[in-house]
Amino acid sequence: MKKIPILRLNRILLVSIQEDLTDNEAMQFQSDLVNKVAEIEALGVAVDITALDVVDSYMARVINDTASMVRLLGAEVMICGIQPFVAITLIEMGRDLIGADCAFNLDQGLDMLKTRIAGRGDIRFTDDGDD
Amino acid sequence: MSLSLPTFLQARREAMLAEWIEASPGADAETSVSLSTEARNRQMEILFDEIMAPLLVDPPTDFLPGPEEQASLQEHLQAMVTEQARHAANATDPIALLFVLRQVLLDHLAQWPQASAETLAEDTARLTRYFDQITLFTFDSVIRQRDRQISEQSMSLMELSTPVLRLWHQILLLPLVGIIDTGRARQVTDHLLEAIARHEARVTVIDLTGVPIIDTSVAQHIMKTIDAARLLGSRVVLTGISPEGAQTLTKLGIRFGDVTCRASLRAGIAEALLLTGKCIASMEDSGR
Repeated sequence: MKKIPILRLNRILLVSIQEDLTDNEAMQFQSDLVNKVAEIEALGVAVDITALDVVDSYMARVINDTASMVRLLGAEVMICGIQPFVAITLIEMGRDLIGADCAFNLDQGLDMLKTRIAGRGDIRFTDDGDD
Repeated sequence: MSLSLPTFLQARREAMLAEWIEASPGADAETSVSLSTEARNRQMEILFDEIMAPLLVDPPTDFLPGPEEQASLQEHLQAMVTEQARHAANATDPIALLFVLRQVLLDHLAQWPQASAETLAEDTARLTRYFDQITLFTFDSVIRQRDRQISEQSMSLMELSTPVLRLWHQILLLPLVGIIDTGRARQVTDHLLEAIARHEARVTVIDLTGVPIIDTSVAQHIMKTIDAARLLGSRVVLTGISPEGAQTLTKLGIRFGDVTCRASLRAGIAEALLLTGKCIASMEDSGR
């Protein structure tokens, strides 16, 4: 079973989905990410799906659900790098399939995450020395 | 010389009582610490006489009255149940006590000199019916006793656990602990809205760290509380949702929409301070 690496950049988590996931792998990814967010009290999560050529409705739902869970745990979420033809398919399947915020690529996604995090209240506590 | 059954039973009273007390459950155990053996024996003696009273009517009646017709028997049975509930570990103890007495009575019945096979069968049936009624009544009392205890405990829990704290100027904290049901949710909402109005709170932090299970109904209750607080003009920050809780909520299809969520109470407080234009800073920064 493939395990998707979750990279940590300070208090932002970075995930890149490189290939199609089976249902079990998708569920595993979801719970891994959620637990990691809770563990380090992440401020933001960037999910990069540049490498995905096909996003079916199940995968779209997994991404969307994961975004909701992460938001419930108090982190900002950004989906990065949806391919143009994937975007068209997703819209044809249903408008709200991806409810999270999206960015053109990882670079812009991280920028937007950082801007948002800077506007939060808890960032001011990160440098008070007890982290 | 003919000896009627009631007279015979009357004569055997002491022996039967002694046997009952001897054989009753818990007689030898040290569980009845708070109730001395003497007090316990006296209580059993009173109960014994109450139960025996209809059996001692001379000449014997075909129909023995059930506990419904005997107010004083009811009273003593209930007293026994209450007493046992306070001291004994098993709910079946009062019932077992009655079964022991029935056995003692049946044993003595067999020793009645006038006993024939027919009268014995008849009397046994009569006695069994009588005890069945008493046992049913006692069982009912045991259940009602437990129900009363449970409802008393849940009342006291409910009153314990719904404080609304004033965290700072215009900031309220609502720490939720324990199971949230409809009654409690309404009470929590009432308390919170009252406090928001009283303190003119602009931000309310709701902490869910102490809520073990977040399911559809809990989420709905929390959502209603949040909506009500918003109508009063107070922003709500949710904190302390566990990873499992987040997964359950999302899989149940519950969306908290644009409610601000934060990982910990600490982050939630920081957010609340920001929303009211304040922050916590080190002493050096303020020039002291």
